[in-house]
Amino acid sequence: MKRLGFYISIYRKIIIQDIKSKMSYRSDFIISMIGMILTDVSELLAFYIMFLNFPSVCGWSYHEMLFLYGFSLVALTPLQCLFDNNWHLRHYVYDGEFIKYCFRPINVFFYYISEDFDTKGLGQFFVGMGTIVYAWYKLDLPVTFVNIAALIVALFAASLFMVAIMNIAAASCFFLTNSGYIMVTMNKFRDYAKYPVTIFPIFFRIIFTFIIPIAFIAYFPSLVILRPAEIPFLTWFSPVYGIIFFYISYRIWMWGASKYSGTGS
Amino acid sequence: MEYVIELKNVDKEFKVLNRHEGLKGSFQDLFSRDYKIIKAVNDVSMNIKPGEIVGYLGPNGAGKSTTIKMMTGVLQPTRGEILVNGRIPYKNRTANAQNIGVVFGQRSQLWWSLPLIESFKLLKDIYGISDKDYKDMLTLYESLVDIKELYSKPVRQMSLGQRTLSDILAAFLHNPPIVFLDEPTIGLDVSMKAKIRNLIKALNKEKNTTVILTTHDMGDVDALCERIVIIDKGTMLYDNDIEHLRSFFGAYRTLLIKTKKHPEELSEDEKNAELTAVETIVKEDFTDKDFTFATTDEGWCSILIDESQVRLMKVLNHIQEKMKVYDVRLEEISTESVIRKIYEDAENLKKAN
Ligand SMILES: Nc1ncnc2c1ncn2[C@@H]1O[C@H](COP(=O)(O)OP(=O)(O)O)[C@@H](O)[C@H]1O
Ligand SMILES: [Mg+2]
Repeated sequence: MKRLGFYISIYRKIIIQDIKSKMSYRSDFIISMIGMILTDVSELLAFYIMFLNFPSVCGWSYHEMLFLYGFSLVALTPLQCLFDNNWHLRHYVYDGEFIKYCFRPINVFFYYISEDFDTKGLGQFFVGMGTIVYAWYKLDLPVTFVNIAALIVALFAASLFMVAIMNIAAASCFFLTNSGYIMVTMNKFRDYAKYPVTIFPIFFRIIFTFIIPIAFIAYFPSLVILRPAEIPFLTWFSPVYGIIFFYISYRIWMWGASKYSGTGS
Repeated sequence: MEYVIELKNVDKEFKVLNRHEGLKGSFQDLFSRDYKIIKAVNDVSMNIKPGEIVGYLGPNGAGKSTTIKMMTGVLQPTRGEILVNGRIPYKNRTANAQNIGVVFGQRSQLWWSLPLIESFKLLKDIYGISDKDYKDMLTLYESLVDIKELYSKPVRQMSLGQRTLSDILAAFLHNPPIVFLDEPTIGLDVSMKAKIRNLIKALNKEKNTTVILTTHDMGDVDALCERIVIIDKGTMLYDNDIEHLRSFFGAYRTLLIKTKKHPEELSEDEKNAELTAVETIVKEDFTDKDFTFATTDEGWCSILIDESQVRLMKVLNHIQEKMKVYDVRLEEISTESVIRKIYEDAENLKKAN
């Protein structure tokens, strides 16, 4: 196993080169970026219209919901930008082409995931950040060091959950012959991440907390900023839980890869 | 260390699930123990010295790629021992990978959207190649092929030939003691094939790199390999140098005949029809003799004749009595025919048992 510094340096170089090459197809780059922004903005508009009729949903005000929405967009950015290659995994595996990732003296998961940087996610990041800042201002939340730090830690933890869920969903192709629907289904769940988990019936609340932990993507972490008085006990563990969950997903992915090729490492 | 690669009685079996249909079936499969065993490689042994170019030959599904995968440490042999550079490959996949180069299939291992030179620079970092070695290698490359004009080209925009060329250069970049090439010339046109063969030969000479190359193109073998290993259905049929093989089949000669004025214009089906006609004529008169029939790329019919059984001229005279022959050529047995002969003999041996 090579050192972390080695991987960071390689990762930086790959991403810079990949972004550079994508920007060189300028119209492609701009159009896909605008497409992503429009999708996010149209969802925001739907939010706005909904709240014209209801002052709050399950006790959540318009601006609180907006905050949650922006938070989920930013938290999903790493998934979109850095882990997008997971979407192609099953094609590589079923074609037998995945083998080409096993010939370099580096970690297979790293090599595979680092191959693609999806620039569309950047648009999502800016819309999300804008939404958070706007909601923050409207909610009159205090701008303190503790709050900002909490936001960053919460975003980091939240993004780990979504990445982990999709890692596991993608890795299912190593074990099943038709795994496409798993990825698609799991991806749909991320839409639910934008809502407070309390609006769901208790059954789903349990699932979203313990089985497919999307409540950790935006709901629990947002509470830290929005309603510090009523944070469920579990929330405090979310960064740790996120790291553990991510690690588990990585092990499953690597286990699948070694099952595919028949060897470890 | 005398050998760079040692294989001792290597077997590889795949356990394949007998799959069931439908959603219910795929649920059953999750818990099913209904396996069948495929023996892809069966008791293969060989030792390879530094600097050798070994042609690893066999028809589709023979087990060539599986053997290469085991030598690269991606697959673990079911039984037997493998040492590559003195290491057990599957136990040290990354350490082994540092000391080999691999080109596998037609898909590029380079970064698809990056210009070639950027891929090279990334490989320089990944393999920890020193500035000097890197520079020297590029200078060598530039002296062997017109690679400079490809440097700024993204791999996705390259032709298959350019991509293969780039992949081969990438495999040699960190100057590994061994390079594995799995079907490197498949799908390339004649001039590109020649270019690739020259390149492989030159790099092998310059760096004394051991090259293991799988192919079913005899042109590759004739141009590159002093030694060939033939495998069919997982079993090794032959391991020796090419000259030995040719002398072994010294009594064989190939008769080539042209049965149409412009046979190169025939379709595949028409070529086969011509061959069948010739085959029928030959077989009706020499019923108890063995021949091997084939069509050449130019549409000639080729007949491999064992002269210890029947004289070639007798066969030719007989054909000429029965059909119009536009042109005739005689050839010493080609490597291709020798190899086909080896497969057939192995088949017959099996049938006899
Ligand atoms: N992962 C695998 N699972 C099951 N069977 C396999 C696997 N890989 C190869 N085989 C089988 O093993 C045999 C040898 O395959 P391969 O080594 O790819 O042949 P070649 O490269 O000579 O064409 C074939 O019958 C193939 O179907
Ligand atoms: Mg093969």
